[in-house]
Amino acid sequence: MIEVRNLSKFYGSHRAVDSISFSIAEGEIVGFLGPNGAGKTTTIRILTCFHPATAGAAAINGHDVFTESIKVRSVVGYLPENNPLYPEMRVREYLDFRGKLHGLDRAQRRAAIGRVSERCWLTDVIRRPIGQLSKGFRQRVGLADALLHNPKVLILDEPTVGLDPTQIRETRSLIQDLAKEHTVLLSSHILPEVQATCQRIIIINRGRIVASGSPDELRERVSGESQTIAEVQAPETDVRAGLEGLQGVTKVKVASTNGWTRATVATKADLRETIFRLSAEKGWAVRELRREVASLEDFFVKIVAGAIGGSEK
Amino acid sequence: MRNVTAIMQRELLSLFWSPIGYIVIAGFLLITGVIVLVSETFAPGQPASLRSMFQYTPLILTIIIPAISMRALSEEYRTGTIETLTTAPITDFEMVFGKYLASLAFYVIMLACTLVYLVLLEIFGNPDWGATLSAYFGLVLVGVLFTAFGIFASSLTRNQIVAWILGAVPLLLFAWFSFYYVSRAEGWVREVLQQVNVMGRFEQFARGSVTTDGLVFFLASAAFFLFVSVKVVESRRWR
Repeated sequence: MIEVRNLSKFYGSHRAVDSISFSIAEGEIVGFLGPNGAGKTTTIRILTCFHPATAGAAAINGHDVFTESIKVRSVVGYLPENNPLYPEMRVREYLDFRGKLHGLDRAQRRAAIGRVSERCWLTDVIRRPIGQLSKGFRQRVGLADALLHNPKVLILDEPTVGLDPTQIRETRSLIQDLAKEHTVLLSSHILPEVQATCQRIIIINRGRIVASGSPDELRERVSGESQTIAEVQAPETDVRAGLEGLQGVTKVKVASTNGWTRATVATKADLRETIFRLSAEKGWAVRELRREVASLEDFFVKIVAGAIGGSEK
Repeated sequence: MRNVTAIMQRELLSLFWSPIGYIVIAGFLLITGVIVLVSETFAPGQPASLRSMFQYTPLILTIIIPAISMRALSEEYRTGTIETLTTAPITDFEMVFGKYLASLAFYVIMLACTLVYLVLLEIFGNPDWGATLSAYFGLVLVGVLFTAFGIFASSLTRNQIVAWILGAVPLLLFAWFSFYYVSRAEGWVREVLQQVNVMGRFEQFARGSVTTDGLVFFLASAAFFLFVSVKVVESRRWR
């Protein structure tokens, strides 16, 4: 559905997007994740034909975004980053205007406006001027506009930015609902956002794709950095010796206070049971034993900090 | 064409939604009203014509018309709505042309308000209808050109006031002093200046002679500035 090959974009000498390639199949819901300034919006703007790429090619539904831009624009529903709207227009007037631009006739526009205003919970404000609406409602107007012509592909740039928690939850469930009928590409700089809604995540930093895969796949790759924490009543040296003797342990950190020793064991496997048996054997009292799996969040933070950035493609 | 109409409708409505539209109309009617009053058009014994109004109106339009068209594109740039417009399935030409037609329609509506003077002339005198209609046609043609230039100015910047100044100053310098330039220039420069002398072209119409070359001059130069505006809009995409 969406095909991107070696896409690059320069602003003057600044390289905003650096030769990225990915593809999105029909019906997929894909999250574009990266810190601010990573090149998400630039890529999205190339896909939606707002500006051309410096090098490389992109196609949506088989149409090239540069040479067949009008065809691409008519199959894409787009919600831009800051959701620009005409404040002086009423919601219905605005949607009607947008419907005309998409070539819908009067009857089609009526039906489409009815459909999207119900879907985006706009029925109550349909006669209000957009300038008087709250940020959440305005976001819904933008979303309704993107859905108006029933596009095959939905491209949403930061769809939940600036919304309150209830609205975020509503918008997420709406997006998941939409994914049944549309191919969705959404961008965000917040991980839980894409984790909650997307089947696949593409992480981008400094204009390059640094990782991509389903949330589970990505988590699997980082779970190597999980650790087990145990707090037992025993001398520090005994605990260190005992734990280092266990299989699969790479590193042990210990610290003791008042006779209790807190050990942090870096390991890939789940060692809780083994540690419990060891403690029972040695007669140590255990007051804490838990496993901490490195989260995607940690992974993402590392990428942003540049620890992993650009090492793979 | 449907896209052009959609853009034009929205644009025309937003001109009437904003206070600027009404301020521009009020300003224009006030100035032309004062001209009609000061020139004693309705004094006894004067010929029944709006000659003095026609003489000055194009000069006033150099300031008024860029004020109508200044927000057309610059406001879209400033608020970012250019992004939703240029990612909708319409061409850049359709967008620019729709906005142009809206500004032009607004101007024609504003001009139509001065028809009240014609009604008064008909009541109190016996005006030369042929020359008057031809003069109005000339004013519409001046509007066709000035609006295209105003749209061009608006395509250059995201600031309305800058767009207004960029539109008004060249028009003003060009129209107000056109006869001066023509009289001072020599050789081929004079030939060229004579051809592009907006005021000279308009005066032909004001005298009652509708000529093909006058018509072609206004339409072709308007088409040129619209073409350049479309190119400016296209080029902004590459930045």
